[in-house]
Amino acid sequence: MNDVLIGLIVLLPLCGAGLIMLGGGCWPRRVTELLAVLAVASATVASALAWPLASGDGTTLELFSWLQSGPLQVSFAFHYDRLAACMCLMVTGVATLIHIYAVAYLHKEPAVSRFFALLNLFVFAMLTLLLADNLLLLLLGWEGVGFCSYALIGYWYQKDANASAGRKAFLVTRSADLFLLIAILWLFKLTGTLNLEAINAQAATLPVATVTALGLLLLAGACGKSAQLPFMTWLPDAMAGPTPVSALIHAATMVTAGVYLLCRLFPLLSLSSTAMAAVATVGAITALYGAACALAQRDLKRLLAYSTMSQVGYMFLAVGAGTVSGALFHLLVHAFFKALLFMAAGCVIHLADGEQQLAYLQGVARRHPLLLWPLLAGGLCLAGVPLTGGFFSKDAILMATFTAGGQYFQILGGLGLLAALLTALYSFRLLYVLCGRRQLAPIAHKLPISMLWPLLPLALLGLGGGLLNLPPMWGGNLRLQQLLETIDVNLHPHLSAELVMAATAALLVLTAWLWSRHRYWRCPALRPAGRMEAFFLRGGEADRWQEELLQRPFRTLATAWRQFDEEFLGGLYRGAALLCLQSGQQLRRLTSGRLSHYLTAMALGLSVLLGWLLLQLLQS
Amino acid sequence: MTGNCPLPLLTLLLTLPVGTAALCLLCKQRPTAARGLALAGSLAVLLIAIGCFILLPTEPGWLLLEDYRWITALGIRFSLGIDSLALMMILLTAFLSVLAIGLSWNEDDRPPTYFALLLLVEAGVLGVFMALDLVLFYISWELMLIPLFFLIGIWGQRGGIAAAMKFFLFSLAGSLLMLLAIIALYVLHGQQSGDYSFALSALQHTAVPTGLAPWLFAAFALAFLIKVPLVPLHSWQADAYSTAPAACSLLLAGVLAKTGIYGLIRFALPLFPDTAQTALPLLAVLALAGVLYGGWIASAQRDLKRLVAYSSLAHLGFILLGLSAWTTTAVEGALLQMVNHGLTTAALFILIALIEKRAGSRQLDELGGLWVRVPRLSAMLLFFALAALGLPGLNNFVGEILILIGTFSVQPLWAVLAACGLLLAAIYILRLLQGVIWGPAHDELSWPDLVLQEWLLLVPLVLLVLWLGLHPETFLEPLRGPAQQLLNGAAPLSLSGGLP
Repeated sequence: MNDVLIGLIVLLPLCGAGLIMLGGGCWPRRVTELLAVLAVASATVASALAWPLASGDGTTLELFSWLQSGPLQVSFAFHYDRLAACMCLMVTGVATLIHIYAVAYLHKEPAVSRFFALLNLFVFAMLTLLLADNLLLLLLGWEGVGFCSYALIGYWYQKDANASAGRKAFLVTRSADLFLLIAILWLFKLTGTLNLEAINAQAATLPVATVTALGLLLLAGACGKSAQLPFMTWLPDAMAGPTPVSALIHAATMVTAGVYLLCRLFPLLSLSSTAMAAVATVGAITALYGAACALAQRDLKRLLAYSTMSQVGYMFLAVGAGTVSGALFHLLVHAFFKALLFMAAGCVIHLADGEQQLAYLQGVARRHPLLLWPLLAGGLCLAGVPLTGGFFSKDAILMATFTAGGQYFQILGGLGLLAALLTALYSFRLLYVLCGRRQLAPIAHKLPISMLWPLLPLALLGLGGGLLNLPPMWGGNLRLQQLLETIDVNLHPHLSAELVMAATAALLVLTAWLWSRHRYWRCPALRPAGRMEAFFLRGGEADRWQEELLQRPFRTLATAWRQFDEEFLGGLYRGAALLCLQSGQQLRRLTSGRLSHYLTAMALGLSVLLGWLLLQLLQS
Repeated sequence: MTGNCPLPLLTLLLTLPVGTAALCLLCKQRPTAARGLALAGSLAVLLIAIGCFILLPTEPGWLLLEDYRWITALGIRFSLGIDSLALMMILLTAFLSVLAIGLSWNEDDRPPTYFALLLLVEAGVLGVFMALDLVLFYISWELMLIPLFFLIGIWGQRGGIAAAMKFFLFSLAGSLLMLLAIIALYVLHGQQSGDYSFALSALQHTAVPTGLAPWLFAAFALAFLIKVPLVPLHSWQADAYSTAPAACSLLLAGVLAKTGIYGLIRFALPLFPDTAQTALPLLAVLALAGVLYGGWIASAQRDLKRLVAYSSLAHLGFILLGLSAWTTTAVEGALLQMVNHGLTTAALFILIALIEKRAGSRQLDELGGLWVRVPRLSAMLLFFALAALGLPGLNNFVGEILILIGTFSVQPLWAVLAACGLLLAAIYILRLLQGVIWGPAHDELSWPDLVLQEWLLLVPLVLLVLWLGLHPETFLEPLRGPAQQLLNGAAPLSLSGGLP
């Protein structure tokens, strides 16, 4: 009976989206806004109420059959287990707060029904992705979030740049999805099923080389949605979308879909140490790359985008190091504080009348205490200041990486530490700029209160997020790890190692703080970029390479193919037609209309015929 | 229940459009009456088709059979028959014909003749889907060509005559070869059995000499593949699609392309099962070439109709790939994809026509900012573009994933290459959307958004796209039998007890 709740989690946002799409123009915008918020809020309630269903092996709810053909049997079936439940609670909860925030954020927009319909549709697609019982339904959610992201990045479509950013996001992620699709096809060929649990159960029977290849394909697929190297170019541009969209899709939820996918198929993935090392490598390198780029950014939202990329890199590192609970821990805490940071950034930008350049945003956050404190909380979490949520979650990941065994993972752990230092640096830089004493920008706007209060619960969750999975050293009992014991590889690091780790992390944060204080406190004005900084400001020239190596050749070839098709192939057929025409013209000259010609031809023909007959006669 | 219908339904299906066309021609002086008649006639055909779809059981084998003496001296019979695949195609044809007539509702250039020709095309296509006698089939095959020639040549846009000529010559070249092959089969069969007949069921048992079989198969296949079209036989396609009046583009892409594939399934493959098996890899390679080549070129087109024409080339390549993979899942996917492609492409052509009516242009660089002016129309374009792009939950995805899964199980490389075609689809579709609906509007003129008549064309398509995307079982189930029969030694249907 309670199974219905699982269906409701998914269907409520869908109903919201459908209603707003069909009727958005017919009723006042208050109704639209209310509907959108209610749909997501009720989904939150439903997922909270459904929590008991997640215990044990979870509960499966089958709605109806989708595809049947030969050995293929796929249905709309949702599976609610602990991993999915944690994610669902986070997604619906954060989405509710962001919906409320968005109502205030967009209060000047003339029409919002398209926005809220897409936002609700996004929540639906994300929940489908999370709850999918089989890979095809997961793909439905996967592509669905991709579409919503595309449409919402280009929400202000009248500027070509925004629409292009949306298109870029769609295409880059879709090219990664290709790998996921191939992995799905291959898995079906190997296992004869698309059911996630069945695949995980059968994984052990597959040869290791195959699992490695599958793992790499899945990794590539995950990298697209999660903006990991080399599929990361779309995320900074995606900031063209409205800030609530950046907070929801490009920080808290969709970009973690790749991590979720890898966690879902962890039993398969963990069978291949090569694939695991690849996941960890991609994660560590992206974490470092993102942090370095974030440090060089001068645009508030782009800074946060690179920071997201870097933090998701940590989650990949966690999966690669074999700790699903560590990845999920960081995923949840990051969702809280990054959504918070984006929403606070939205407030800052609103206060500064749309200005996004850090140089002009100095001290803006100070104007509003309700903004200042949550922003500080978010920044400290991001920096990983001891006792905040970010500290514990990042610590757990680095700990796991160092204890995962092998020298290779030690190196990756080192990269992770370096990225942690950079993270703390750019977080403090951000805080010093936004919360510093100096004020350049005059404050033009008042902040609506409903843009501020959603920050508070997120700030509390971010700060206290450590409690979700507090290690025993700090008096906790690793709740999340226990919840996920069924899929997790349990790690029991040494107490002294844990102490060293925590001390190192704290030391790094302290160093970063002193350094930033020295550098930014007195003169937060941004100096002209050096060469190194300029390189990272442009994201390591990734966009240029993408244009030169992929886009331009593609376009050139497309034009070449078109010309080949029209000129050469069309020309061949035209030539054939022309040949017929010409030979017809030639033959026409035979019918000259002169009796003498015809008589000659007749005589010739007759003599040939007679000659032949004569020959026959002679032979016989 | 084979063949025991009290009414000669199939004959009725065939004669209804012909009769309505004749009536249309009679009301030369009253154009409104002519279009009303045309709509009524096509709706009647649609209703009969829907009735058959609902009432007839979805068993494998013939659902309805009709057989009359025709030209006894030559053994030509007027025999019609449908199985559930043919019924599905008839349903698609009837539906798209109604849409085509609805789309040309405001045609003001000699409407009676125009509508009569449209109905004749419908009759020809229905004949192709129902004919079980090869002469009857050939006549229907040519019957759909001639009215289209006039429609493109006379009612088409600039360059229409040249395009119509090209289309005509390509098709004729193919069908003449097919005629030769039909006669050869007839003679062979007559010599072997003494029974000179053009019936498919009889000719199927002809023992074709191994030296001759590839040639005969090639003649049939060529005729069909030109109609589809398959790379490199597609040169007529983009010109014909882009110059034809909107309703004809819709029929060309939505229905005519399917007659080629249907011919392959019903005639070419079953008549020469052994040759077909050896030809399948070649077909697959060409189909893949179509997927990639068509998709790639589509991304460099400026004219919307040409863009859709090349995307059609890619999608039809997908269908042929599914057929040549020759596994249950892939063939079922291919058969279903015939319906899906018909619906999606038809919708895109309708939308392009509606946009052209408002903007006066189809060029990507002259359009833009459609959402500012006509949000509902743009939303519809977005919806169908997403369907064409293969977004899961909409119709095209279902067929494509079945084809891919079925193909991957036997030829992983083919499937991987075809999957790249999906990426190409995303590229050209997003380019289309970017050029048409996003961006700023070029001027301040306000356009009317969708009106009731246009909604009537689009809403059924939306519902079908969702239906096929979310619950394809309704349409997949009837196709299972034909798919299985195609795979089982390619003998389509045993005729025991069917023909008198």
